[in-house]
Amino acid sequence: MSTALRADPTEPQTKQGPEPAQRRFRLTFPATLMAPGVSLLALLSIIPFITLIVMSFSRVRLLGGLQLDWVGLDNWTRVLQDVDMWVSWWRTAVYLVGTLGLEMVLGVGIALLLHRVVRGRGLMLSLVLLPMFVAPVIVGLLGRYLTDSTFGLYSWALAKLGYEGDILGGSTSAMTAVILMDVWEWTPLIAMITLAGLSGVNPSVLEAASLDGAGYWSTLRHVVFPSITGILLVAFLIRAMDAVRYYDIITVTTNGGPADATKTVPIRLFETAFRFFDFGYAAAIGLMMLVVTIFISKGFVAVLQRKG
Amino acid sequence: MSRMRSPGTPTSGLVTSRRTLLRSGLTLGALGMLGACGEDSKPMPKLGAGEDVWRRFEGTNINFISENTAPTAAIAANLAPFEKLTGIKVNIVNLELSALVQRVALDMASGDAQYQVIYADPYQVLAPYSKGLADLREFIDKDGYPQIEGGLDDFIDTQLKAAGKFADDGPVYALPYDCPTMIWQYRADLFKKYREPMEQDLGFDPTPGAERTWDEYYEIARWFNDNADEVSYGTGQQAKQHDSLMCDFSNLLWSYGGDYFENGQELGLLGVQDPGACQLGSDEAVQAAALYDRLLKVAHPASGTWDWDGVGAALRAGEIAMCPNWHEFAASNETAMPGKVDYAPLPKGPARTSDHYGGCGIGIANNAKGAVRGAAWLFVNWATSPEVQLSNLKSKAGGGTPTRTSVYDNAEVKKSEQRPTKLPNMLTGPAIRTAWETDNIGLRPKIPMWNACDTAIFTGLSKMIAGQNGPEATMQDITERIDGIVERGWVA
Repeated sequence: MSTALRADPTEPQTKQGPEPAQRRFRLTFPATLMAPGVSLLALLSIIPFITLIVMSFSRVRLLGGLQLDWVGLDNWTRVLQDVDMWVSWWRTAVYLVGTLGLEMVLGVGIALLLHRVVRGRGLMLSLVLLPMFVAPVIVGLLGRYLTDSTFGLYSWALAKLGYEGDILGGSTSAMTAVILMDVWEWTPLIAMITLAGLSGVNPSVLEAASLDGAGYWSTLRHVVFPSITGILLVAFLIRAMDAVRYYDIITVTTNGGPADATKTVPIRLFETAFRFFDFGYAAAIGLMMLVVTIFISKGFVAVLQRKG
Repeated sequence: MSRMRSPGTPTSGLVTSRRTLLRSGLTLGALGMLGACGEDSKPMPKLGAGEDVWRRFEGTNINFISENTAPTAAIAANLAPFEKLTGIKVNIVNLELSALVQRVALDMASGDAQYQVIYADPYQVLAPYSKGLADLREFIDKDGYPQIEGGLDDFIDTQLKAAGKFADDGPVYALPYDCPTMIWQYRADLFKKYREPMEQDLGFDPTPGAERTWDEYYEIARWFNDNADEVSYGTGQQAKQHDSLMCDFSNLLWSYGGDYFENGQELGLLGVQDPGACQLGSDEAVQAAALYDRLLKVAHPASGTWDWDGVGAALRAGEIAMCPNWHEFAASNETAMPGKVDYAPLPKGPARTSDHYGGCGIGIANNAKGAVRGAAWLFVNWATSPEVQLSNLKSKAGGGTPTRTSVYDNAEVKKSEQRPTKLPNMLTGPAIRTAWETDNIGLRPKIPMWNACDTAIFTGLSKMIAGQNGPEATMQDITERIDGIVERGWVA
């Protein structure tokens, strides 16, 4: 295939080869093989992205085929002036900080414990990782049943401890519950990544620290953590980007309630697009989420680069 | 690649044959896909002389998209009679309502009709997408098609308008298919046991019925909280931040004389494109909201997490003594607590008793063309026929209750309104007949932008229940939001 793009082999060629201007348009053989796939991927990403941008400046009609009525900056003005939207961003931030904070602390803690285990580490690691393999929607359903005040185990246990409210019925308790469900599922990911980082810490450095009389906490603080900061940041980045667009557990358990207490931006986006069918406004919200996600990832990458 | 080889090399024949094979495969695949398309686009067959109108579309396949409701479960379990009658194969796709609405909207946008028969929720499908549904008058009373047994007049009039028409009394977009209606469901055994002490304490006869008031309902709920050991709480409400919360509150709103828009009843029956200004700021609406707020304070604390399924399960689990809920839960109640649950119209307010009607129709996608369009009509006609509605009532797979007066007049059905009964949903018969009277039926606004208004209503109410806003501020907040939504209008 690559030869088809080159000059006709029957034409006489000079020993110096083709002109530089011609060389620029030639594809190497591997590039030629990859070109269809890469082009398809580009089309699949770029066309929807451009459509999304156009939709965010339009009012979208569905009946009789997709039609876009140009409305200028209306959707963008609305999204920036919508108080409910900013409140949803605040809730998303609470969700992000809550899930990430707990997952990082617990994940690193579990990894440190597992790292010290010699016998049966494989089995323990498998058990720890299990929640990660459950589909988020199933985690939500499990959470909903366990917190149901009629027959839920957690509700029963909390009632025995004196808690009288309904877990998913109170604003604070509902947000806490969905954060904890997320933490249960994704802490193992942090633990696994951290464990991989711990395995890469140079043993001779640890040995040197030990010979210098450094204790466990001191070694952790001055040797281990600086060595795994990069990998922790990667774990943080993955979960942060995930948390910004997290949808499954909340929609299954509370669907944004009670009193909008768990209505994060992804829930509002879904509601706008697929409940109100206001696709123009939904496109603006979606692009806003994209910008925020890019800013978060850029921030992490900058920190990573500073760490070398 | 073959250009790189010199002609006549031993492998060139193999390369050619691979390419030929690939081409042949692609061609066959394309032909197969075209064939599949052709299946859907068969032209409308002409009816031969003496041919059975029910066999006219024999050999056609159609798709029916429905909410996962009791009547559809019953029909899905018993499709053989239809297939035998018509020779048409029906694939049923059962979905949760919001998922159904998404698929229907996107199917209509595609310009194609993957789903020819559509469960047309009046507020989420019919009002916003009436233009995407066929006017069934092209089949009704027309030669070449089987006619509706008993005619359109056999359908309960309020239901035909509410579930089948939009904005204009002429076109019929759907035939009434199910008719869930909110009624008072209560533990008859407990009311019987405690009737006397309750009457002495409260100063009125607590027997549930349309002559009770919502204030009395509240008092009864409190009494059960304090005096009955058999249940944890007197009442449970479907007050999750969900469509169910709007449904639950609307009963009180209408009974107090409030409404979402002006001419609420008329707007609920036929619907309009532009409903005008929201009326939730009225004194009646605020009073209704205040009582609802008070009611939630004595209701089971899990009410804030329950939709209709949750509150139904709580009644059957013995957690609560009573609740307003959809009448189609009667069969499940009878299975879990045989003989213990009874039914009555909801209490009245200062204006009237009001029982929320939530029935839906089934219609045909306007994009369906040719034979599938005709086949879809045969199915719509069959699925809403008296015979099938009676069969649904008896079905162990589901049920629902009929939408036709002739079925309610059936002697077997009438007899089933008393225990012992083989048609437990009919235990609700006396209550729902009262509920469907023109003065009692509760109809939410049939407007295209209802989904957004509904969300504003149940979100506002959820905030009120959580104590973030008082009743007056809640009604004012919802009014402003709804006015904004209506002002933005609707484009389909």
